[in-house]
Amino acid sequence: MQKYTLIITEKPDAANRIATALDEKGKTQRCLSKGVPYFRAYRNGEIIVVPAIGHLYTITSKQKGKRNYPLFDYQWVPKYQAERGASRIRGWLKVITELANNAETFVDGCDFDVEGSIIGYNILKYACGEKQQLAKRMKYSTLTTEELQESYNKLLPKLDFALIEAGLTRHEVDWLYGINLSRALTQATKANSGQYSTLSTGRVQGPTLRFLEEREKEIQCFVPTPYWKITAKINISGTTVDVEYEKSLEIFAEATALRDACKTKEGTIETVAVSEFAQPPPVPFDLGSLQSEAYKIFRYTPMRTSAILQHLYLNALISYPRTSSQKLPPSIGYKAILKRLGKAPTYSKHTTELLAKPTLKPNEGKKQDPAHPAIYPTGNLPQKPLDTTEKNVFDLIVKRFFSVFAEPAIRQSINVTISLNGNTFSFSATRTLVKGWFRFYKPYVQVKDDSLPPLTEGQIVSVQRVTLKEHFTQPPSRYNPRSLLLKMEKEEIGTKSTRAAIIQTLQERKYLKGADNFTVSDLGFEVTEVLEKYCSIVVSPEMTRALEEKMEAIQQGKETKQNVLQNTAETLKIITAELKDKEAAIGVQLSRAVQKAHLDERKIGSCTNCQGGKLVILHSRKTGKRFVGCTNYFEGKCTTAYPLPQTGIVKPLSGACRACGSPIVAVYSRGRKPWRLCLNIKCQSKRRASA
Amino acid sequence: MKCKNCHREAQEDGYCNLHIRAFQNLEEKFKVWHKASGNTWIDYLEQIQKNSLTGEWAKEVAKYLIEEDQKCQVK
Repeated sequence: MQKYTLIITEKPDAANRIATALDEKGKTQRCLSKGVPYFRAYRNGEIIVVPAIGHLYTITSKQKGKRNYPLFDYQWVPKYQAERGASRIRGWLKVITELANNAETFVDGCDFDVEGSIIGYNILKYACGEKQQLAKRMKYSTLTTEELQESYNKLLPKLDFALIEAGLTRHEVDWLYGINLSRALTQATKANSGQYSTLSTGRVQGPTLRFLEEREKEIQCFVPTPYWKITAKINISGTTVDVEYEKSLEIFAEATALRDACKTKEGTIETVAVSEFAQPPPVPFDLGSLQSEAYKIFRYTPMRTSAILQHLYLNALISYPRTSSQKLPPSIGYKAILKRLGKAPTYSKHTTELLAKPTLKPNEGKKQDPAHPAIYPTGNLPQKPLDTTEKNVFDLIVKRFFSVFAEPAIRQSINVTISLNGNTFSFSATRTLVKGWFRFYKPYVQVKDDSLPPLTEGQIVSVQRVTLKEHFTQPPSRYNPRSLLLKMEKEEIGTKSTRAAIIQTLQERKYLKGADNFTVSDLGFEVTEVLEKYCSIVVSPEMTRALEEKMEAIQQGKETKQNVLQNTAETLKIITAELKDKEAAIGVQLSRAVQKAHLDERKIGSCTNCQGGKLVILHSRKTGKRFVGCTNYFEGKCTTAYPLPQTGIVKPLSGACRACGSPIVAVYSRGRKPWRLCLNIKCQSKRRASA
Repeated sequence: MKCKNCHREAQEDGYCNLHIRAFQNLEEKFKVWHKASGNTWIDYLEQIQKNSLTGEWAKEVAKYLIEEDQKCQVK
């Protein structure tokens, strides 16, 4: 059999793109073996491109079936051996091994970052028979034909072993922290309540939850204090302007006296200060700033934005998204990208204008990434229609790309002071003189332009009304997906690729409530308190930051994986001994919160037939069927009960049925759109529907 | 001993470590309110309880303190 080059990629879409780009005729042969797709191409010999489906290997304990801790013996195994629902990976690996048997040359074509490098390394090591030392590496930032061909023509001679070593260390350290601490919490709860409930924490989850918990405490303990502001409505040449006294007042009596002293019919403009300032264009997107902007503009969660970006990247519409760079090197070919984007009528006006500039120089940010540039459009236009969310994010990336090459906007600010009986009031206004990059970033830039009549110092203005208004100090705002992501980034917690997933895990574990403004649940409080009390190091950002520094040192050859893992094991031995010693107390503390979280999940609302009862989803002891019952039933006070559908997931909805006022729930069944159900079987709306 | 406001263990002044912070905030901010408007302790607590910006734990402590004051007056 003829020998060939085997290229391993991270995803099937990437495999297809690479094969098509590398084939001399631009045509690839799609093959299927045991349900696993791979692609055949010809370029100075036969090439087979076989994809993975993300990580095919994972870490698991060497001891099978036992759930004890502490645990320090682990191994990398195929995912199907460690995770339920991963059975198709068995067949997948078998196909890769078969293809590897006849391969002559091996190329790692996975994404050029830590995760991609680990995926490729593990497959080459375990599925291809220790070929990691022989394999070459493709390095690319976009899946465009030109870049893929260039990358294949200039293959890196070997894998980046320092990067892989650092990545493997991160995975192993995270696994050690995660498994030991999560088991300690879970077992303590189970020992106390007898019920199994998954509680998790880890090296990144712990400090992130700690930020949220600290903010929540501030909000829940917040006591507002009053202060007063004096404002006046002034008429300047027919235009009404609101002006404000120069400072806020903290004593009511003083505030009223001052308000009375300001009551006059005329005031004098004392000063008019006009200044101009340039507002530079924005910098190119790195992953964090793009997730943040997408949340601000479209309200897409960071996790959702990541998924959209992955899709756009695999369609070769944008460059590699998991980057922390804010740099756009000239080698990406600014002009070529603009010319190609200009083929779309919606972008042609902007591209023509930018291409007419004598030079194209992007306004770059400070952040760098050795592996990839900032996120930019490849110049390819969508071949198939994108869905609305993809269209929005693509447009945002394109317009940001245009803006970074545009001129600064010039704005004017006007600060005016007005004297009312010798008391100084002021107002300010801003307006745009030169739109610059604002035009390119429309509609994603929102600028307020105030219009003012001509103003001169000494001008007399008429006073319409002077008002005193009470205000209160505000509590700090809750974290939302955007602000939490920014906080994690600022504190250097987690990596650009994992932050969004960590936020989602905290929600899934029921440590957080709300999708937009996060509230820490009782369970979240108890978990943080336990961790702070018995292993405060786990929730401190310093610990995780120090570990990031060690990863960096491993990558630079200044630290070894063995050392870092040994230190981790020593730290964990002390922590787990303390947790084991206090298991009973921890169990009591967590069990109550777990039970409350379970009850909250089942709670439908207040009972409409009795005082103080709550409607909850219950299961009949006799039949096992589920129904909604009142909590007062157990005290013999209320017999209210409603039937429920026996399949699908039932979730309580806020509000009540419009027809009868009974509680309503949402039912999610497979293969069906979610539907709203009024619990009252005699509800008029049902009669109308059945009639 | 249980906290005056919840099921948690009391630490200081009969409050758990969550409600004690709210209690300390209430005491500290009373000085500002008294200086601003001359409120009495109970007036202040009543206003705080009604204010939508007040945190839930601070409201719980304020409610408890008002009820305690009413009990004392009855006696």
